Amino acid sequence: MAVNRWVATGNFFSSYQEEQRIFITHTDRLIFCVAVTLLFIWPLVFELSNKFMLVIDNTLIAIVAIYGLNLVTGFAGLISIGHAAFVGVGAYTVASFATVLGDRHLLITHGWPLMIVIAGFVGAGFGAFVGLPALRLKHLYLAIATLSFQMIFQWVINFMTFFDQGQTIPVGRVFWFTGRIVRRQHYLFWYYVILVLVVVLGFAVRNLLRTRYGRCLVAVRDNDRAADAMGMHPGFTKVYAFALAGFFAGVAGALHAYLYRGVGIESFTLHQSITYLAMAIVGGLGTVVGSLCGPAAIQALDLAVESLAEHAGALLPAALNLSTALRPLSFGLVIVLFLMFEPRGIANWWRIIRSYVKLWPFRY
Amino acid sequence: MNAKRYFSMTTIFAAALSLVFSCGQQQAQQKQIAQAQKEARVYKIGLSLAITGPTSDAGNPYSKGVEDYLRFVNEEKLLGDDKIEYMIRDDQYKTDVTKRNFEDFLTEGMVFYLNYSTGSTLGLKKDFEEEKMPVVPASFHAGNLVDSNYIFLPIVSYSSQMIGLSDFLVSNHTGGTPKVAMFIHPSAFGRGPVEDTKNAVTAGLKMDIVEVVEHGKDLDNTAMLKRLLSKKVRYVLCHTVQSPVATLLKDAQRLGVIAQRFGESGKLTFLGVHYTGGNDLIALAGSAAENFYWSTSYTLTSEAGSGTLAQLALAKRYGRDDKAANSHNYTNGVMVAQIAVEAIRRAKARGVAVNRANLYQELLGMNGYNAFYPLTTVGPVSYSATDKEGVDTLQIYRVQQGVFKRVGAPFVSEFTKKVM
Repeated sequence: MAVNRWVATGNFFSSYQEEQRIFITHTDRLIFCVAVTLLFIWPLVFELSNKFMLVIDNTLIAIVAIYGLNLVTGFAGLISIGHAAFVGVGAYTVASFATVLGDRHLLITHGWPLMIVIAGFVGAGFGAFVGLPALRLKHLYLAIATLSFQMIFQWVINFMTFFDQGQTIPVGRVFWFTGRIVRRQHYLFWYYVILVLVVVLGFAVRNLLRTRYGRCLVAVRDNDRAADAMGMHPGFTKVYAFALAGFFAGVAGALHAYLYRGVGIESFTLHQSITYLAMAIVGGLGTVVGSLCGPAAIQALDLAVESLAEHAGALLPAALNLSTALRPLSFGLVIVLFLMFEPRGIANWWRIIRSYVKLWPFRY
Repeated sequence: MNAKRYFSMTTIFAAALSLVFSCGQQQAQQKQIAQAQKEARVYKIGLSLAITGPTSDAGNPYSKGVEDYLRFVNEEKLLGDDKIEYMIRDDQYKTDVTKRNFEDFLTEGMVFYLNYSTGSTLGLKKDFEEEKMPVVPASFHAGNLVDSNYIFLPIVSYSSQMIGLSDFLVSNHTGGTPKVAMFIHPSAFGRGPVEDTKNAVTAGLKMDIVEVVEHGKDLDNTAMLKRLLSKKVRYVLCHTVQSPVATLLKDAQRLGVIAQRFGESGKLTFLGVHYTGGNDLIALAGSAAENFYWSTSYTLTSEAGSGTLAQLALAKRYGRDDKAANSHNYTNGVMVAQIAVEAIRRAKARGVAVNRANLYQELLGMNGYNAFYPLTTVGPVSYSATDKEGVDTLQIYRVQQGVFKRVGAPFVSEFTKKVM
């Protein structure tokens, strides 16, 4: 154990417990506390427009979803191309309650924390079910199984009148201790709710990875036969990896339903699944930091390109089509560049910066 | 040396004087401009639509129509010194992005909103209600009007169009009850009018709906066409977008089953509502589009008139290509922009503030003698608190020698009144 807990410059662990600490140094803890405090305080100081609050809320929801995707794909090594469908399961759980009980029923408007938890568990149930093929399938074959779930989900929603055939099912405004959350407060209110969940679920993921269940995920990813020989159950591990991913996705879906005050199939298509995968890759698979950075980077890129396209369109009205094509083009390009030059994602940049600061002024 | 110094001093003095003078002039000019700006107002109109992505074939000319007309209004000072600031954003047919654009437009101070897709119109319906924002979408889905006060369809709904087309079919059919199949888009957009058409049949429209087919992404419809013929179907009512209809027509042509005259026995007569037709269909289907019957409430450039000539002149003025200039989606875009401008013009004429509440009232007042007559539609735009479908009349067109030609006069089906 380092003598100085503020500036530990090497590995001085004398027990597994020390190595498994969430914050290795006091500096790490301080940085985390300051960052979280800033995240809670800044909306009270700087007033952002609804557009940007919506973007930020959406990014935070994507972070919750990517926590789950990172568990199943990053930590457990099981490719999932149907993550948007799992998010959709959560959203449609809320929508189903709204359809049956009415979108202004107490359970929807007052019991929304319970609804979010229920959506998470329904997502986990679907995740476990879809994870069953993982007992027999691997790699691309498993990816196709998750893809088929995505397709089945879209078809069911588009077909069933109960789900209004994919049209938007409204979800009522929620209540807080201060009363009904009106339009003016809506985005700020959900910012705080989602931020709390991002922090709590982030700790949950970090803690999970410190437990035997979390280490099982990594062991099965690295070599499932070796994990089996070591006494782990690869099949069970794969199924609960999907269940956990489904839980996070379900929670994200419920938050999406409440934020947008409605659920429509357009938000849970294959394209969105691929976007989630891109967020996980760009952020860095198999890292908690990557789950935070990926969604933020993709959303920022989207906004930047949108702004660029608009300016290009204003300067060259005739070239509007060309300028709007920048969005899908830049999106694809970024993913390819990351895969080629930084497959470990933005999280690796964070790791490099941390080690540089930790070792400063020495280079090695 | 003294003379030199005197000369240079004089030059500097003159330069300083001219600088001060020009600054003074500039200030005076700026004051004048500021004064003019104080008097002239700017009204903001937002449009979020699919310029790229799904349905952009319709969205692209639509956005050009809106943009061109609003530019024209500003340049020709149709609102006097007041200007319209139009914000047109691509949402790639994604409701999430539409919502983001809408929120941004609100922050910018938008007074009138033009939306696009069925999904986003339904998705943002509650926002429109809360914001009391008058909205004209490009979607004519009847469901847009359910539990809504602020959504105004530019023309009759898809359901009303389908009923009108069915009424035309029944009126022109000879020999017993016609057997009909419906070929629809596999979505809420496509399914919407099916129930209403069945209700029209229940209400007395004498036709037999034998089958409702939801098309997929099939590249071959041979089996389906053979099946329909085996069931003695004579008419196929289409409600989808152009490309599946073009595939269907090409297959029918290959099999030699397209009726050469309306309701020909043993053959199929194809009919479709607004988004199935237009020049894009002819471009996609080629000669197979011949004898396709199509309903819309817009005038077409293939039938010269004052409205269509004005439309072509507008497109030419802003350098649009022939495809965009002749597109009914361009006409559609021009027309919804006309509605917004007309509401603003009326509010100004009444001397009330141009804001959401007053523009909403102006729209509600567009009826009777106050109905709005754009030149690009086959009837007037009329709205009221109980009628949110703009142009009520329908015009049937038929493809003849590669262009859409008018069939009969504009009409309103009696069954539309009964069912809708």
